[in-house]
Amino acid sequence: MAGLKDGDDFKDGESFKNPLILKGVFGLVGFGGLALFVALNFLLPEKRGEMSYSWLFALVFFLSLGVGGVFWTLLHHATNSGWGTVIRRLMENLGSVIPFMLLLAVPFLIPNGYQDDLWEWFPKREAALEKAEVAAEKGVSQYVTEKQAEIAGAEAAVASAEAELAAIESPSAGHRAHFDRKIESLKTKLAKLQEQDLSEAAVHETLVDKNFKKEEALLHVKKGYLNEGFWYVRFFFYLIVLSGIALALRHWSIKLDKSGDPGLFLWMRRASCGFLPFFATAWTFLVFDWLMALDYTWFSTMWGVYLFAGAALNSMGLLVIIVTLLRHFGYLKNIVTLEHYHLMGKLMLAFVIFWAYIAFSQFFLIWYANITEETKFYLTRNTEFWNLYTITLLVVGHFFVPFAILLLQKVKKLPLVLSGVAVWNLVMHVFDIYWIIIPERGPSLTAAGPAKDMLMVMPGAWLFDVLAFVSVAGIFGFCLLWRLGSASLFPCRDPRLDESLNVVN
Amino acid sequence: MSDSSVSSKNLFGYVAEFANATDLYHAAEKMRDGGFRRWDVHTPYPVHGMDHAMGLGKSWLSAIVLGGGVTGFSIALFMQFFTQVALYPTIVQDKPTNLFTVPAFFPVTFELTILLSGFATVFGLLGIMMLPRWNHPLFNSKLFSKFSDDGFIMVIEARDPKFKRERTREFLEEIGAEKIEEVAY
Repeated sequence: MAGLKDGDDFKDGESFKNPLILKGVFGLVGFGGLALFVALNFLLPEKRGEMSYSWLFALVFFLSLGVGGVFWTLLHHATNSGWGTVIRRLMENLGSVIPFMLLLAVPFLIPNGYQDDLWEWFPKREAALEKAEVAAEKGVSQYVTEKQAEIAGAEAAVASAEAELAAIESPSAGHRAHFDRKIESLKTKLAKLQEQDLSEAAVHETLVDKNFKKEEALLHVKKGYLNEGFWYVRFFFYLIVLSGIALALRHWSIKLDKSGDPGLFLWMRRASCGFLPFFATAWTFLVFDWLMALDYTWFSTMWGVYLFAGAALNSMGLLVIIVTLLRHFGYLKNIVTLEHYHLMGKLMLAFVIFWAYIAFSQFFLIWYANITEETKFYLTRNTEFWNLYTITLLVVGHFFVPFAILLLQKVKKLPLVLSGVAVWNLVMHVFDIYWIIIPERGPSLTAAGPAKDMLMVMPGAWLFDVLAFVSVAGIFGFCLLWRLGSASLFPCRDPRLDESLNVVN
Repeated sequence: MSDSSVSSKNLFGYVAEFANATDLYHAAEKMRDGGFRRWDVHTPYPVHGMDHAMGLGKSWLSAIVLGGGVTGFSIALFMQFFTQVALYPTIVQDKPTNLFTVPAFFPVTFELTILLSGFATVFGLLGIMMLPRWNHPLFNSKLFSKFSDDGFIMVIEARDPKFKRERTREFLEEIGAEKIEEVAY
């Protein structure tokens, strides 16, 4: 067959010379924007709430691209794939941006700052607990007196039953048995009452719990999950798991470039299978905590997979764009072929469909069942401005347009057209993440005031969204370029390189 | 079936055996460049790139499948919308009966699109391959049956416009055929 390639010809890899100007522009825009954003937070403290949503939006968007990169790397190893070895390093580089993105999430850790603006359950829980504390403080002595009276009453009941039995001169066997049973049950009741810990600390705890339930029943039900301590534990779990997996896979892969030891290749496959459940758990719960909890009363079991679908689709799109740009500047010329484009295009099509399938399933079940606590999410997003937004951008733009284009086989073998579709998809992904986060902003920040003043859209706040997006984009681009330049552009001594170079589909 | 017993009128075509996949591959390229239309190769295993060597274009099965899918989509949407919204508006749980009822029809629409696409794929493929059929002239050839064992076989039909009984045989020998057999209807 024409164009047979031998992996040995590529064993030295290909290094990427960083375009310093581009990297500088990214760095300047990114860190400059970041500085401006931080400054604005201090200059306009009354706008801090609006800015917190902007920051979350920008951060989740770029984090999802990195998470998608890790997902494709893991999948590639776990399924022992051969087709994508030539682009696996790019996936790994995409994933290695995750730690930097998660570092940008540090503001979420500061209590009474972004945390309270974004996740209402933090301040609500705090307020409810405070109220419960005060009420408990007052109620302790009364509660103890009540309980002691109950015990005295129970003791009297036992005594009177015993006296009644003693008063009967010669009770029949049946009579005696009846009284025995009665006394037995009264004694059990008394023992139970006496067992209660009536020390002040114990009573206090019981009363706080009771009053908390009265104040915020929903938060009381979810207290095992939605509490500050566990939230911080989870935050560090996400940080460690997502960053750790991304960095470990990249580290081993680069080590394989140098040593060519096939044992490492086998090890990466085994490790990936072990990593997958942790990776899936971390991302699923991260989006529960950061996005679903924007409204703590709402829940959806499709949430994790919905955000995963968007992440996988768009990181594949970004890979197509990166490969096209690299090829344009003369890299990976004989390495990535139209066959690889075809395969990536097919995966994009699959995930366009998968995203739509998940998004529609989530909407459909909630819309059809019409249960109050579930419909809130879509009611918010079908009000005013957001209604047209949802239908045109998400239904038509995110699904029908790329679906119709990607169905054509030819398109998947035309790098420029495929990159165009990928850019389109990325823009739609921006709108998707925006649609998830931003509609919560108006109602959340204005709900405290009178109902007539509640806003669905905060006027002028989009400026912060743009600024946050541009800053995080700059930092993302800067980190990605830096990672691209620090190792060969493809895993040059991978045992499956030969297979990948000559892939036909 | 000896060669001499086949009359020109009765001739289905030639079956030629090649030594290995490489020979067959290059022979296919020459057949393609020679402008033959009604010919095919049969190998014990798939040979990568053979479609390029044979000059096969893109299959138009996808057009049939698209037709099936669009038909299923339209029928399902029309039947549901017409009966549930236009003809007899059915109000369920106070849901609207207008354009915004459409989400309720998606599951059926989706299923019917898939079903008719699937049918179109299976029956379209059978139609293109003209299957099922009782018999095929190639089954008359002993040589042909080797393709499912260790033979790399090329078949050229007599109804190819470029087919000339003597010249084509010489051409096959020229491009490396080791054994050539005439097949009758």
